[in-house]
Order: sequence, then C-alpha cells, then structure tokens
Amino acid sequence: MANESHPAPGPLVPENAKASATYQGSLDSITFGEGSALPLNKPVSSGKDRGIVGTNVLPAKHAWTPVDGRLLSVTDLMVEFRTREGVAHAINGVSFTLDQRETLAILGESGSGKSVTAQAVMGILDTPPGYVTGGSVEYCGVDLLRLAEKSRRHVRGAQISMIFQDALSSLNPVFPVGWQIAEMFRVHRGMNKTDALEKAVGLMERVRIPAARERVKAYPHQFSGGMRQRIMIAMAIALDPAVLIADEPTTALDVTVQAQIMDLLKELQDESGMGLILITHDLGVVANVADRIAVMYAGRLMETAPVGPLYAEPRHPYTIGLLESVPRLDSKLGETLPAIGGLPPNLLAMPTGCPFNPRCRFAVEKCWTGTPPPLTPLVDDDSRATACWLVDDPSVRGEGQIAATGGAR
Amino acid sequence: MSADVILEARDLVKHYPIKTGIIRRTTGHVRAVDGVSFDLHAGETLGVVGESGCGKSTLGRLLMRLEEPTSGSVTFEGVDMYTQRGAAMRRLRRDIQIVFQDPYTSLNPRKTVGDIVGEPFDIHPSVAPKGSRRRKVQELLDLVGLNPEHINRYPHQFSGGQRQRIGVARGIALSPKVLICDEPVSALDVSVQAQVVNLLEQLQKDLGLAYIFIAHDLAVVRHISDRVAVMYLGKIVELGDETQIYDHPIHPYTQALLSAVPVPDPSEKGKRVQIRLTGDVPSPANPPSGCRFHTRCWLAQTLCPLAADGSGSIPPQCSQEIPELVTHDDGAGSHEAACHFARTLEA
Ligand SMILES: Nc1ncnc2c1ncn2[C@@H]1O[C@H](COP(=O)(O)OP(=O)(O)OP(=O)(O)O)[C@@H](O)[C@H]1O
Ligand SMILES: Nc1ncnc2c1ncn2[C@@H]1O[C@H](COP(=O)(O)OP(=O)(O)O)[C@@H](O)[C@H]1O
Ligand code: SF4
Ligand code: SF4
Ligand SMILES: [Mg+2]
Ligand SMILES: [Mg+2]
Repeated sequence: MANESHPAPGPLVPENAKASATYQGSLDSITFGEGSALPLNKPVSSGKDRGIVGTNVLPAKHAWTPVDGRLLSVTDLMVEFRTREGVAHAINGVSFTLDQRETLAILGESGSGKSVTAQAVMGILDTPPGYVTGGSVEYCGVDLLRLAEKSRRHVRGAQISMIFQDALSSLNPVFPVGWQIAEMFRVHRGMNKTDALEKAVGLMERVRIPAARERVKAYPHQFSGGMRQRIMIAMAIALDPAVLIADEPTTALDVTVQAQIMDLLKELQDESGMGLILITHDLGVVANVADRIAVMYAGRLMETAPVGPLYAEPRHPYTIGLLESVPRLDSKLGETLPAIGGLPPNLLAMPTGCPFNPRCRFAVEKCWTGTPPPLTPLVDDDSRATACWLVDDPSVRGEGQIAATGGAR
Repeated sequence: MSADVILEARDLVKHYPIKTGIIRRTTGHVRAVDGVSFDLHAGETLGVVGESGCGKSTLGRLLMRLEEPTSGSVTFEGVDMYTQRGAAMRRLRRDIQIVFQDPYTSLNPRKTVGDIVGEPFDIHPSVAPKGSRRRKVQELLDLVGLNPEHINRYPHQFSGGQRQRIGVARGIALSPKVLICDEPVSALDVSVQAQVVNLLEQLQKDLGLAYIFIAHDLAVVRHISDRVAVMYLGKIVELGDETQIYDHPIHPYTQALLSAVPVPDPSEKGKRVQIRLTGDVPSPANPPSGCRFHTRCWLAQTLCPLAADGSGSIPPQCSQEIPELVTHDDGAGSHEAACHFARTLEA
C-alpha cells in the first residue's frame, strides 16, 4: 500500500476551499493551491536568489517505490527567512531518513525549526519570506526540491501528508465534517458525491469516531477537541499516504485525550505501514511512541539516536539538559530542577561556533569559534550521531548517565 | 480552624447562566465550580489538577474574589472574604495575588515593565510611597531574575519565560501571603519552565508564600506541591499530600489521569498500568447524575459482572448517589476521595 501511486486528476483546489477569508483550512493545506509555484528555475544559493526551484516533471502515474524500505531521505536541508530585520537562518543543514513503518520523532523547543522542516519537506513553505537554499529531500529516490510544482502536487496528500499544529482551528466551521472529508475523494479521486460521502463514513470509523454514520453531517463545533483532531487525522490519511507528518498533534489536548490520539496513530500505522514523523516538544510522548529521535536546536540537529539509547545515555549537552529539566511523575526529586540557563539564540544573530555555547556548561574555547560542530556518527555506535566537540569527553558522558536516571544527583 | 490554616474554602459554588435567544433568557447553568472545600496552610503549595474545563481557573478567580460565588464561603485568616467591603476588602486583596497562564497576553503591551510591576502600588500607595517606587520595582525585578535596568522596556522585548517572571514580580509586589498561580508554566518550553518553577520555589522559601498552583501537567505539579487536589467537572474528587496522590491514588479518575501521562523513559514502555478513558469530559452544563465520573469510570464497569459482556452496566450507587469527599484507606495510610468504591490500584 505504501508504494501505490494515486495521481490526482482534475482541479486540485476545491472552489470553496478559499471561500471563507478566515479559513486556513485543511483542504487548502492538503491540496495546496498555487502559492508555491516559483518563477525562476536555477538552483543558486546566495544573494537575492529564489533558493532552490524545481523544474523536473514526472509522469502523473509515476510509481513511487521505496528504495530498500527507505521512504524519505533529507540531506543538508537549508532554509532561510528574509525579513526586514535581516536573514533568519531557520534550518542550517538538517539531515535525516525515514523508513517504512518507522516513527521518527523530531524533538525541539519552540522556534527550533521543527515546523519549518516539515513545511520544506511538504513543499508548502511560505515564500517569500521563506526560501530553501540548499540540500535535498528525496522521496522514493526522487528529489522533491527539484520537482516542478505540478509534479509535487501529486506527492502532497497522496504520498506525504501532514497534520498541522493548529489543526483544531483548521476545519472549516461552515461545512459538515463528513463533507470536508468527502471533498478529499472528490478532488483527488474524482469520485461522485455519494461514493465520496460513503468513503468519509468509512474513514470516520477508521479513526474510531463513534456513531460515524449519524455524525457525518455534523459541523465541527459539534465535536470535542479530541474528536476534531480525529477528523483532521482522517483527512490526512484519506489518500493512504506512505508518509504522515504530525506536527504537535496532541499539544492542545488533555493527557487522557492525548493518549487516545497517540494510540490511534500507532494503530493506523500498524494497519498501513506508513512512516510517521512526529514533531513534538514533549519528552514523554516521544519516549512512548518513537523508534528514533532527532533533537533539534536553532535549526540544527544536535543528536540523533534510537529512542532507548538516547534516554539511557544522552550524549549531547543539550539533550542532557533537556532530560534533566523535565520534572518526573514517578518521584519527587530535590527542590531545584536542573534548568538550562539562558534562552535559545536569536536566529538573526547566531553565536559563532556551536549554537548551544552560551547555555552549555561544558563549553570550551573551541566551542566559541569557527564553524559549528558537524553531526558526526559516534565511534562506538554508528546508529547514533551528535554535533558536539566534546562527545567523548568523560565528564559529558558522566553527566549524561546521571541525567538518564532522572537528574538525581 | 487549625492554627496554620490561612485560607479556608467551604462549599464554593459558581454557576454561570447560559443565555439563549433574542431576549437572552436563562435556559440553564454551567456548573463551573460545584461544591469545593479545602484548607490552605501558611507557606504550603496546594496543587490543583484536572482536565480542561473542570473549573480550575474559575476556582482561582473565586479565591481572588475576581468573581462572586453563587454560594459558599472563603475565609482568609479567620475573616469571611465575601462579606468584606471597601477598605477592609482592599486590605484583603493585598494578601492574595494571582499570576496568570499566558505570558503573551496577560501583560499590557503598551505599558513598560516598570508600570506593570508597579501597578499594584497605584492601588495600595502606602506599600511604596511615591519616591521609593522605582527602587522598589527594580528590587522586584532583581528578585525574579530580571535585569533591573530593563525597567523601561516593553513586554514584547522579553521572551516568554521572562514575561512570566514579570507576571510573578507583579504578583509578589505587595508581599502577599497567598499567590494563586494559574498555569504559570504551561506556555513555556521545558528548559525555561524549569527556570520559572525554581524561581517560584525560591520565592516561597524566602518570603514564606503559600501557593495555589493550578496546572494540567501532573509532573510539574508533583514537583512543586505539598498537597494536591484533583478536580473533575467542578468537584474535588481526591485530595491528599503529594505522595498519597501520586503513589497511592484511590480514586479511579486520578488513577486514569496518572496512567495517561507519558513517562519520559522508554524502558518503562509497556510496564506501567495503562488505563484508557474513553470519550470526553461531559458538559458541565449537564453533568451526569450520581457520581459525575460514572459515564467514563472504568472501575464502575469492572464492578458489575454484567459489564464485562459490554452491557455497560454499573453499580446503581454510582449513577444515583453523589459520593462525598471522605477519608478512605489508601494502603499506606488514608486520605480523602469522592468515590463509593475508592481503593488502591492493584497492578
Ligand atoms: N513566515 C515566517 N517568517 C519569518 N520567520 C519565520 C516564519 N516561519 C517561521 N519562522 C521562524 O523560523 C524559526 C523556526 O520556526 P518553526 O515554526 O519551525 O519552530 P517550531 O520549532 O515549530 O516552534 P513552535 O513549537 O513554536 O511552533 C522560528 O525562529 C520562526 O520565528
Ligand atoms: N464567564 C463564563 N461564562 C460561562 N461559562 C464559563 C465562564 N467561565 C468559565 N466558564 C465555564 O466553566 C467551566 C470551567 O472553566 P475554567 O475554570 O476556565 O476551566 P479550566 O479548568 O480549563 O481552567 C468551563 O465549562 C467553562 O466553559
Ligand atoms: S560543542 Fe561545545 S558548546 Fe556545543 S554542545 Fe558541545 S561542549 Fe557545548
Ligand atoms: S463512585 Fe462509582 S462511578 Fe464514581 S468513581 Fe467511584 S466507582 Fe467510579
Ligand atoms: Mg511548530
Ligand atoms: Mg484555565
């Protein structure tokens, strides 16, 4: 199922998707109207250029086949925002991969670049001011950044789909939810109204909405926050994507509902074998669902590792700090939480050297000058990588082991 | 009243009328807070947890008398708060202050930090006579870890964590005895959240403040609280000290809530007891009869032999009789819970 191709026939933007001015809606976001079509077509990377502009065209019926189970391979991604205040380097060389059935968590604090990474992968970056200025995003061996917008549209929604951070406000309040789900099938598959509505009922059942058939005509306000999130998930998986990107899917929800939604995503993944990219700042959620973790800070990956080893022995000072600073549910520790002092850097004025240096308790001379440390595989474990000059320093490793026990010292 | 009880809430009720139609006729009531009683001791932290909409913020506003209750009483140092007027009420207000949830919207963007933190002095000029104002405000900024020289800056020039510190500085300006913190760290990132939690604990130690700490993050609440109240649909369903609530919960709602919290430790995956509540919190405008939790209660369902076959039946007590908040055995001692069948969780 993951490598099936579903080219989208007919009009790609439903007429009414843009009808309401306040509607930032999902139909719009999944079919993605015009917006990102870029006029220039030479991939240059400095000055007043337009970033990477794709021109390659694929046949609409291109068969997307994962290469050895690998769905996605992002390499050295660079994104900048050109604002009046200056150039904000939001993403500075991010690389990761995603396989079938795998859950990759991108973990990072507010503003670290998680959503922008997702937008670049989806090809829905806000341009201007945002530009992809380097790197590649290969899906089933094809670099999406070099694809013409026309071809990229066949990928969005049908191959790679996304649940948005502000999902709860992105349903259109004036249309019944069933209709909004059905529209996916009408637009992308050219189905008639009755068939599309029938498919919508099926999907609502798939995301475990009780009494789906009776509620297919209900409006968004008649559903609770958790139910609306299920509907957003239904729309995101409607076309059986091979990759689902979920941007903070449970941040606005209570823990009881959050647990239901995470269970649901897991079940859907087990059913379809899709790869899941889970974007979150919640260390608890990550520990419970991710296979691998990429820790992001100031638009760079600080550490990537399988979930068990990362929590058992964080190797990057930032990861160590994060794990120390979360209060634990199962024990009451000493009175002071080991907080990371200071604040994340301003992207318009990044410190030289390692971006974490102003907050790092291990920083040495080398950290303050030259280029930031590259993300490098560990010598003793090549399934892990860190971007820190002191990765093998005994004091860093020692504190990593302490942090793993919940920060008790 | 026991010696060190500083604040005493008894049967607090707040119902908001639901008005419909053109003539705005009252057609019902949202029972936001529906019979809440507890004591707050001097210098302690009482945590209040519960799902969104269960009445935590309303309770906070009632304790500040930002709203009048529908019924019930709050006694502060032996004085009945809701009967005070004029100067007597103003004096009371000095002693109970609040810090709000959202550091992005709770500060007036057109005022400088100095104006914001000094605002309480406008209402209570005797605390800081005109000449000493600026110095006082700078002391407060210093106390919460902000640069006193930034007194003329505006809120947008600060980060979220710093803005929350501004809110805390304003909250403690009048040296209150009780500080109500309504989700003070919920909008903050983990690393910054720890900074603000530490600040609150330091201030408590230095100034002897008592906190009502409202939050939905159960781990943060455990860290900071001495005692914890768990709310569901306008009522306290369990009340005990921090170890009792977290290590020996006896109310099925508390047990479900705790088991839903994802623990940041992958090696624990699959080892903890997982209780999944189905469905959502019912509307507080039309709460279930008997025990309010009965529509989602996993324990009630297991208590009825018929329930196992999916018939959904529960003991008649649960749907008919309102359980009182009373003391139950918790295996290691005893504390209060409102459940006819309160018991420790067998893992
Ligand atoms: N349209 C835009 N114009 C200018 N800067 C932007 C724009 N969108 C994002 N940025 C900047 O890019 C950086 C990364 O943003 P992003 O939204 O990816 O962060 P995030 O990690 O998802 O944070 P949050 O959890 O707060 O959403 C931020 O500094 C942000 O201010
Ligand atoms: N001014 C108001 N008018 C009507 N209903 C209100 C008002 N304030 C709060 N409520 C309702 O009271 C209930 C509890 O609200 P609140 O105390 O804000 O919950 P929370 O626990 O999320 O802080 C909710 O159902 C809310 O919608
Ligand atoms: S490179 Fe230096 S500053 Fe950066 S995380 Fe490592 S020790 Fe800290
Ligand atoms: S009284 Fe009944 S329904 Fe209420 S919590 Fe106890 S067992 Fe559950
Ligand atoms: Mg984001
Ligand atoms: Mg609230």
